[in-house]
Amino acid sequence: MKMNARLAQRLLPFLSLIILFVALSIASPYFLTANNLASVARQTAVFNTMALGMTIVIVAGGIDLSVGSILGLSGLVGTMSLEAGYPIAIGIPVGIAVGAGCGFFNGLMITRLKINAFIVTLGTLGIYRGMALIISNGLPVHRIPAGFAFLGEGNLLGIPFVVWLLVICAAATHVVLEHTRLGRYAFAIGSNKIAAIYAGIPVDFHTAAVYAIGGALTGLAGMIEASRLMTGQPTAGLGYELQAIAAVVIGGGSLNGGEGSVIGTLIGAFIMGLLSNGADLLNISNYWQQVIIGAVIILAVTLDEFRKRRQG
Amino acid sequence: MELLRLENIGKRFGGVTALRDGNLIVSGGEVHLLLGENGAGKSTLVKIAAGIVERDSGRMLWKGSEASFRSPAEAAALGVAMVHQESLLAPHLTVAENIYLGREERSRFGWVNRGMILEQARRVIEQHQFPLDPDARVGSLSPAGKQLVEICRAVCHGSSLLIFDEPTSSLSHSETEQVFRIVRALKARGMGIVYITHRMDELRAIGDRVTVLRDGVTVHSGALADIPTDRLITHMVGRDVAAIYEREHLPGGEPLLELRNVSVKASRLSNISLSLRSGEITGMAGLIGAGRTELCRAIFGIDPIDSGEIRIAGRPVSIRSPREAVRHGIAFVTEDRQISGLALRLPIAANMTLANTERISPFGMLNLTEQNRESEALGRKLRLKAASTAQLAGTLSGGNQQKVVIAKWLFRQARIFLFDEPTRGIDIGAKTEVFEIMSELARSGAAILMVSSELPEVVQVADRILVMRQGSISGELPHGATQEQIMRLAVMESAA
Repeated sequence: MKMNARLAQRLLPFLSLIILFVALSIASPYFLTANNLASVARQTAVFNTMALGMTIVIVAGGIDLSVGSILGLSGLVGTMSLEAGYPIAIGIPVGIAVGAGCGFFNGLMITRLKINAFIVTLGTLGIYRGMALIISNGLPVHRIPAGFAFLGEGNLLGIPFVVWLLVICAAATHVVLEHTRLGRYAFAIGSNKIAAIYAGIPVDFHTAAVYAIGGALTGLAGMIEASRLMTGQPTAGLGYELQAIAAVVIGGGSLNGGEGSVIGTLIGAFIMGLLSNGADLLNISNYWQQVIIGAVIILAVTLDEFRKRRQG
Repeated sequence: MELLRLENIGKRFGGVTALRDGNLIVSGGEVHLLLGENGAGKSTLVKIAAGIVERDSGRMLWKGSEASFRSPAEAAALGVAMVHQESLLAPHLTVAENIYLGREERSRFGWVNRGMILEQARRVIEQHQFPLDPDARVGSLSPAGKQLVEICRAVCHGSSLLIFDEPTSSLSHSETEQVFRIVRALKARGMGIVYITHRMDELRAIGDRVTVLRDGVTVHSGALADIPTDRLITHMVGRDVAAIYEREHLPGGEPLLELRNVSVKASRLSNISLSLRSGEITGMAGLIGAGRTELCRAIFGIDPIDSGEIRIAGRPVSIRSPREAVRHGIAFVTEDRQISGLALRLPIAANMTLANTERISPFGMLNLTEQNRESEALGRKLRLKAASTAQLAGTLSGGNQQKVVIAKWLFRQARIFLFDEPTRGIDIGAKTEVFEIMSELARSGAAILMVSSELPEVVQVADRILVMRQGSISGELPHGATQEQIMRLAVMESAA
């Protein structure tokens, strides 16, 4: 009985995704076309990649509100390096490294200054955005080699390249969470930080590492975004943090830490992607889309709370 | 005048009986002491009187008529107030605001009239000569100051019975005097006072009558002057000792852990020296607040020591964090395993391997097969009752959770074990199993410190017994010591 309830809870986001998928297929003749699905995949790639990073952070009991700004800053610095003449094989890692650095700095502040993650990353949300605007003087980076478009817009074996990339990142994140010591420590820290400290786990180090990984994935998302727009926008990623957090939470992640999974997050991100795509296809205004997505977030968290209360 | 009469009170919390036959009669103009061991039911009894807890059975009379308080507010309205051990005041508000919290005189539109509150509070404070500034923030007050605010609040609300739950356990000597002076003044004005204390040395300075509880039953009630302190102690501990656990008591081997003149200011530990020897279970008794848990925390590096020396296997070491303690082979089985011992939302297997994840993750990659094999083996060894080690730790019973915590330290191959109230909240069968595990550990050469408030357990299981009192070790007793001997060391100023 208890196991069944747990299983149902696990499957709930997945069922919602399927129901949404079927409903949209019926409601709109354009939905189930290769073109539309590829476009959904590309649109959600950025959020998905960010959300993977956010999953690890949230599993470890943290939160990173600055990912939108990290996305902007890393996309900007990455494209600036391309503009400066560095090859794409350098530019993309530069973007990822900037993201990792920002995430690590967040982790360092949280563990060293012992300040609440919410506050630290609310601060760096402003700092990183400001830095992007300062170094770019508020102007986008345009002179980018044409080949860079492949990252966000190219196809490999008939499937969008970002889908391959997402599969690889998701698999890697899953392995890190479920099959490495780091992932185990992330779960332990998120589930009970005191018990983790008392077990002799180097909690501060692993907390910082978790934020760095989240930042790195956000950096990659920043480069994908830049590739899709073919510009480095200092204002890219504005407000994306909410999308990333929502994807994790809809997918069963708990803001109390210790819970969350890659598959759940992907489902959460796709639910949001489909909602937004479906609203477009059905001519529901942008304004209403925001209302719908907000309501879905609250609904998902409410269901999660009910489950916890039942478990006592 | 009789204020409160509690007769044959019974109360159960889940499967635990807190009170079986609690009796207490308090009159106006007296300070009535309520004594008993940890867990004897004192707090439950007074909480029933204060409307915090509802009784299951028994009779309560308030000022001569049948009464039943369903909430603290109802009790307060009828004149019963309680001063809590931990302050329940709002630290950001002023003394005056706290005194009138919830009873503010409001002007039109619901504005709170600060000036009026301040004025009223000042009058009451002056009238009773409380050493308080009505305009000070409560957060800035000492523990004694906060208590005085609570007392003042009770007085302002016209209470006729004031209940103190171990008011002086966190107070210094001079602060205690301050509280006593106020208590005597209130008594002189005809208030009834119930006073729970653990400090035998202070009770004669304040008490008129005394009631002793043991295992939820009132075993003695009478005038304090008629009974010597020794007799009170006998009443507190004088139960028939059922055989809990028999083990062979062998002399200990080499000292694995030694403390020399260890002090920790923040947790008021002073000048503690002890040694834990290989093969030995050292019992540690003492009242709540005597510093036993604090000592474990100091050894384990949670509150690192300020002065003194810790030696492990004869070599001086520095332990500044739990991580360092774990590396030195120390294990800490905490009293609140749900808060600090287990990751409840993780599987048993993850919890068991948590303190030594390195062992199952060469090059950082988890070997889940190895993890499951090791944890299943530990589960079998400790007779863990669980469907599998994939079950979440939070779904286990208290005894089985404790086994998972112990398994964690076995997997770490710790040599020095600090058990803090290892049998708290677990059923009798599991208790015996926990003692068996501890004995087995001792036989295999581990050094064990067993902190316990269950005197019969300490008496029977420990090879020797250390007793703590107010942050220091007040004495050591060999195996075979009686509960009375232990209690004397735990409560008396100078050891007999």
